[in-house]
Amino acid sequence: MLARLKRNWLYLAIAVVIAFFILIPFGWFLGQYTTLMIFIGIYTIVTVGLCLLMGYTGQVSLGQAAFFGMGAYISAILSRTYGFNPWLAMLVAAAMTGAFAYIIGYPIFRLKGNYLAMATLGLGLIMWILFRELSQFTGGPDGMSGIPPLSIGGFVFDTSFRRYFLVWFFCLAVLLISQNIVRSRTGRALRAIHGSESAAESIGINVTHFKVKILALSAVYASLAGSLFVHHLRFVSPQSFDFLASVKLVVMAVIGGLASVWGAIFGAGATRILSDEILLRFGEWDVIIYGLILVLVMIFMPEGLFVKLKEVFERLRLRYRQRGTEP
Amino acid sequence: MNGSVILETRNLTKAFGGLIALDKVDLSIESGKITAVIGPNGAGKTTLFNLITGVYPVSGGEIYFQGALLNKVPAHKRASLGIVRTFQHVYLFGNMTALENVMSGRHPRSSYGFLEAALRLPKARREEEAISLDATKYLNLVGLGTHADQDALSLPLGQQKLLAIARVLATEPRLVLLDEPGAGLNTLEKRQLSDLIRNIREMGISVILVEHDMPLVMGIAEWVVVLDSGQKIAEGTPAQIQKNAKVIAAYLGEDME
Repeated sequence: MLARLKRNWLYLAIAVVIAFFILIPFGWFLGQYTTLMIFIGIYTIVTVGLCLLMGYTGQVSLGQAAFFGMGAYISAILSRTYGFNPWLAMLVAAAMTGAFAYIIGYPIFRLKGNYLAMATLGLGLIMWILFRELSQFTGGPDGMSGIPPLSIGGFVFDTSFRRYFLVWFFCLAVLLISQNIVRSRTGRALRAIHGSESAAESIGINVTHFKVKILALSAVYASLAGSLFVHHLRFVSPQSFDFLASVKLVVMAVIGGLASVWGAIFGAGATRILSDEILLRFGEWDVIIYGLILVLVMIFMPEGLFVKLKEVFERLRLRYRQRGTEP
Repeated sequence: MNGSVILETRNLTKAFGGLIALDKVDLSIESGKITAVIGPNGAGKTTLFNLITGVYPVSGGEIYFQGALLNKVPAHKRASLGIVRTFQHVYLFGNMTALENVMSGRHPRSSYGFLEAALRLPKARREEEAISLDATKYLNLVGLGTHADQDALSLPLGQQKLLAIARVLATEPRLVLLDEPGAGLNTLEKRQLSDLIRNIREMGISVILVEHDMPLVMGIAEWVVVLDSGQKIAEGTPAQIQKNAKVIAAYLGEDME
């Protein structure tokens, strides 16, 4: 009886959240935040991949912007320069980025801990340099514009209002898929690797294979996000994929709670709002703020801010309930 | 000696740089028995386990499992062949509940992958249900059924060690290697452990254990192998080993001359 009542409340809460998200882009509601929400959706997709890789599997990536950028540039170049259908460009970008991650995964995962972090950092830097220097394809440091929008039949995603729903459709799909993976045999294998590689290997889990696959999946997510990013902005430049971009992605994953798929929305949201609304005033100094956030969160709540907040909320609720039953 | 041999080593050698941890060891482990490997610290017992389970590559010699050469088989494949181990330091998955730890042990006996998981296809749902049921069975077997939803690391050490055994039993092994299962346990827990190890043997699983607790070893082992400084210095029944002069010398450092 109580359980059913509780479940009904849960459904109601979910319905309210969904309604809220649907209403956001309407002008009379929170329309002025539509663009911000599009970016939050895009970054959530990347963050979810990073949560799977870092939070669940325990493998650091300081170069996730490389995959994000690959998706963006491959989509941009194929659809603008070579006239591919943007959807096809997006698909090709995801496949190429995933395959690339899969191939470099084997050598990169011979490394562990800090060394792995350094290797992924190097990967991010190399890709960023390539985006800048291969100017006959990428337009160099100035970037390239005139990238066509996505469309279905005659329906063109040419307004932020429309793209908002497109991006959040992808975001929701990625979140649901990731949640399914986390609660599966595969998810257990990933957590086992995080828990103890020796023990995981000893009960038959192919550690390298799972690490490489989850890297490839996170790369595919990042690539999808990159494609959505360029077809939204209709413009791409290397700045979006520099080292700071990778660091910001890590900050998003860490704030979102490394071991929580849905926390990614919170992490991406908090970080985007912070950088778009507040840190702009600090100019170049924002790096220091990100570093500070990262250090503080890792020291005081290594399970992530989102998970910590959830814990605090639970504790408050418990205390409230206990007080309620007292005479 | 009767019965078939489940594991055999010939001239098994492991060198770490100049240090020879294991020196031309010949072993023949009988199927369905409890074999103990004993020896002073640094005798090469854990190295032997690491070679059998594929943690390190061998430096020389061969390992045969049920007659097939094991040397080149990667570690994770040995578990699906039926060789599993526990660790001195337990190595439970701390980010999981007790039940989830055992469910991880069903990994080599289930097959659905990324795609089936991502889309929650019927195969994934079916297998996941079976994994959970089987895992519960093994958790009950070691007497931890009531602790299923507890965080693995919140259990006391004795129960953690039982949980680690449940996790390896869930892989349906043929040969279980137990690395110091009794270390850190009290008398009652040791008795439970002995019963469990006998129980494992009753299930038709061969057991090799490394253990320092002599009463425990002598109480349950049917065959004892003694290593010292990387070499096999004796083997026999517990009664024979207890009287063996070389073994006594190795433990007490007595002068043989």
